[in-house]
Amino acid sequence: MPKINIDGKEIEFKQGQTIIEAAKDHGIEIAHFCWHPKLSVSGNCRMCLVEVEKMPKLVIACATTAADGMVVHTQSSKSLAARNAVMEFFLINHPLDCPICDEAGECKLQDYTYKHSVGESRFVEEKVKKGKRIQIGPYVMFDADRCIMCSRCIRFCDEIAKDPELTFTKRGDRVFLTTYPGEQLDNLYSMNVVDICPVGALTNSDFRFKSRVWEMSLINSVCTGCARGCNIELWVRNNEVLRLVPKYNEDVNSYWMCDHGRVNTFKFINAEDRVDGPHIRVEGNLTRVGWDEAYAEAASRLKAFGKDEIAVLGSAFATVEDNYIASKFAKSVLGTGNLDFVRHIDPSFGDDILRRNDITPNSLGAELAGVKPSKNGNDFNGIIKAIKEGKIKALYILEDDIIAENSELENVFAKLDLLIAHATNFNKTTVLADIVFPAATYAEKNGTFVNFNGRAQRIRPAVATLDVDRALEGMAMSRWDKFGTKFDRWAQGKHFDARSSWKILVGLASAMGQKMKYGMAEEVLLDMANNIDAFKGLDYDVLGEFGVQLKTVNSKS
Amino acid sequence: MSEKNIPAKKRIKDLNSLEKVYFPEILKALKLTLKTMFRPKFTMQYPEEKFIPTGSYRGRPILVMENNGEERCVACGLCARVCPPLAIEVQAAETEKEKERYPVRFEINMLRCIFCGFCEEVCPEEAIVMSKDYELAFTKREDAIYGKDKLLVPVNQLPDKIGFLRNYR
Amino acid sequence: MEAIGNLLWTIVSFYNFLLIRIVIVLVLMLLTAAYLVYFERKISAWIQDRIGPNRVGWKGALQSFADVFKLLLKEDIVPDNANKRIHTLAPMLALFVAFTTYAVIPIGPGLNIAGYEIPLVIADVNIGVLYILALTSLGVYAITFAGWSSGSKYSLLGGIRSSAQMISYEISMGFSIGGVVLLSESLRPIAIVESQSGWMWNAFVQPIGFITFLVSAFAETNRLPFDLPEAEPELVGGYHTEYSSMKFAAFFLAEYANMLIASTLIVTLYLGGWQIPYIETFGLSSGLVLALQIAGFLLKVGLLLFFFIWVRWTIPRFRYDQLMSLGWKVMFPLSLLNIVWVAFLIMVFRI
Repeated sequence: MPKINIDGKEIEFKQGQTIIEAAKDHGIEIAHFCWHPKLSVSGNCRMCLVEVEKMPKLVIACATTAADGMVVHTQSSKSLAARNAVMEFFLINHPLDCPICDEAGECKLQDYTYKHSVGESRFVEEKVKKGKRIQIGPYVMFDADRCIMCSRCIRFCDEIAKDPELTFTKRGDRVFLTTYPGEQLDNLYSMNVVDICPVGALTNSDFRFKSRVWEMSLINSVCTGCARGCNIELWVRNNEVLRLVPKYNEDVNSYWMCDHGRVNTFKFINAEDRVDGPHIRVEGNLTRVGWDEAYAEAASRLKAFGKDEIAVLGSAFATVEDNYIASKFAKSVLGTGNLDFVRHIDPSFGDDILRRNDITPNSLGAELAGVKPSKNGNDFNGIIKAIKEGKIKALYILEDDIIAENSELENVFAKLDLLIAHATNFNKTTVLADIVFPAATYAEKNGTFVNFNGRAQRIRPAVATLDVDRALEGMAMSRWDKFGTKFDRWAQGKHFDARSSWKILVGLASAMGQKMKYGMAEEVLLDMANNIDAFKGLDYDVLGEFGVQLKTVNSKS
Repeated sequence: MSEKNIPAKKRIKDLNSLEKVYFPEILKALKLTLKTMFRPKFTMQYPEEKFIPTGSYRGRPILVMENNGEERCVACGLCARVCPPLAIEVQAAETEKEKERYPVRFEINMLRCIFCGFCEEVCPEEAIVMSKDYELAFTKREDAIYGKDKLLVPVNQLPDKIGFLRNYR
Repeated sequence: MEAIGNLLWTIVSFYNFLLIRIVIVLVLMLLTAAYLVYFERKISAWIQDRIGPNRVGWKGALQSFADVFKLLLKEDIVPDNANKRIHTLAPMLALFVAFTTYAVIPIGPGLNIAGYEIPLVIADVNIGVLYILALTSLGVYAITFAGWSSGSKYSLLGGIRSSAQMISYEISMGFSIGGVVLLSESLRPIAIVESQSGWMWNAFVQPIGFITFLVSAFAETNRLPFDLPEAEPELVGGYHTEYSSMKFAAFFLAEYANMLIASTLIVTLYLGGWQIPYIETFGLSSGLVLALQIAGFLLKVGLLLFFFIWVRWTIPRFRYDQLMSLGWKVMFPLSLLNIVWVAFLIMVFRI
């Protein structure tokens, strides 16, 4: 393998790599603004200037192909001076509105000003004003003053979103980023430009000014918007999810995620209509009751039905653990073979970048966990038919709002004698339900999702509930979480009385006289690892940060 | 080199013989306290007579209100970040005005505040300053949380403080 | 009617108006003790460049009464571990000792009103000095009881320290008085006062005895620099840590009453009592002389009380070992030396 020497360190590189790529692979950071590992090289920010021996001038590390025996100095006085000069140029027209700017705290320019700048400006003239608060897309706000013309966003639209919408106009210090005439930055991946913007020029108008980044804690999780299962970070403050940000995972989503996933998959967590505590229908109205009462009620009413009169529907929105316990509950506690889950397919949703037609995060996982009818049992259509015929009188639904998708079912479910639903929020299914158990959302529990091509990935709790304590569960904690008391308003974020579906089922099983011995989600997964081939050898450590490709599932791209 | 070569230091507790008798020293002390008794006193009769601090005084932190009734604060959150006892909570929001960001909620828990003045020091907008107000008493915990209604003070009431900040910092 | 009147008169005039004298002395003592607290606070404030209490009454003159009122209204707490009887007995004992000691101290030479010879002392006992020594020794019990019965380590330590301290200093105190008694050839306080006519005050005749007695008096009253029984930094409140409300007030009052007694005792034994040197040679009327003599006695006592307070706010507390070595190695030999000195004086001058 060819070798290159960077700052006295001999490193190997693959033929064709640039200096910056080779350095990055070995943990050496070369300062850069416009370069991005997944975008083409444009080389216009000049921040990555490095000194290469035997070259007459400094070269930009992002566009210089590494060659065997090359000797690169990133900390030599020449390259330091070059970086200082570049920073000074950047800061000539960059406004000093960090106090207002949302990027503050995660701003590349801010960081590099501390690292690579002399800290003083010799520029005394008026800064160029180009305009603030330009809504260039439904989710993206543009501040032209702050833009440093790195062109990352333009290249992203061209190369990743495949929808050219942005371009530069004018020249010199009047360069202006704008959309093409009549266009808007409205592609399905538009908000990724907010992530890759090295300054606060492009900001997330959904999250804008909601919180400072240093006030939040973040935890890795998986997007529930579709079967892709993009890796995300959940940013939480005061027990409230404020934004989702994609997390790098080359095998799933690289650096990106779609706008739908980013905007639409977390607001229900702290919505007004969350189910808070178990509910029982009393005189036509759902009334909040205690857990023991709800368990006892559900147990006694379920016992009144014959085995074939009950059906259980798992959920592609729930985790693998939830579905596994649901199938176990159906088979061994209720003894019914009427077991299936609903597949939500939206043919208009998918594309060939990230989005999939299956808009649930875990349909494959539910199937693998054993949520399928037994030999004599009915599948979903069979269950519906049996309900219509009056053969099935009780239905148990895991976290899935089936009626919202198929309103015909409303009349069908009305025939049921008993409908028990797990739900995160009150919805059209809970309107008919006799007993509603409050299910924890994906941001409130540990669990595993299996994406469309068989990659098992972990979700982790980011929001505390009455069941899951932030400190005791070892969840990510911000400074406020650590030091808040019950007398501090900033530490009194709502804690819902909700539990993971598997935990509710375990509780109900014990109320029906069948003990299932699971204390935490990982024990469920360990049990599955022992019993189901697809999950063999899995535990949360094995799943790790990036998830694991399940071996028995054929990988489809 | 041994320690013997170092001359023994005279220690304070090595008294001379007169001091060892103790009584002359007591008389000296008595003389001092007797003199002190007739010196003028510095005590202030507080509720009637009030201490008027100088501009550098660190009383309760307040938010500066411009003459047009708007706060200077842009809700950058630096004061909340730097506050050692986490007394400050800021919630920003967007406005249509030229300064696009403002604090929709700004609360200081005066039970937590330790009057260190870090917020004043860190503020990039000279928007939070330590006032001369030192009369803080509450009867309920809730009363100790000062919102924007209590925190905003017009800038023309703070000439001393603003002058101090401009000249000495 | 007349019979009842006669009976009342008999009671009132019993033993030269004893009841009236007792009531007057008791009220005076209580008032003085109360105002001593006020002056203590005032003087300490002045020494520390402050003003001191000035809110209750004129210049804070009613402060002590406000304090007493507050203490009366406070909850009386007795610890679970305490021996309740002795815990209650201790402050009573302290007050009893403080007040009864005063019975033998003469204020003036004696009054003659309407044929009644009224001595200005409650009990003219001919072993008065012995009586005083006996009662002050009893005072140790109050503190020891308080310390032991509270069931608290701080109280116990304070009580033990206090008893050790008082016993140690009682010896030098007793020997110092020995010198006085040698000179006056009597244990009767009035006789001792009368023996100090002119400038023959014992303070001048036997200065060593005076100083040892003064220092011992400080130690006996547990005043700074000898207030180890209640050394706040190490023992919280010492023997009265576990006392609250009026029981605490009793100890507090006893401390100041003890101060008063120490002062009157010093005046009686060493500063000539009521005597003003050579006042009879000025040719004043006997009534005026008597008034001046009483005023002189009160002035002397007042100055000594001021001295007590002044010393307290000037000198820091002794360490325990220093206190003991001072008591046994300095004060005790000095008081013995004083006796030798007085004996020598008597032998040489045949006074």
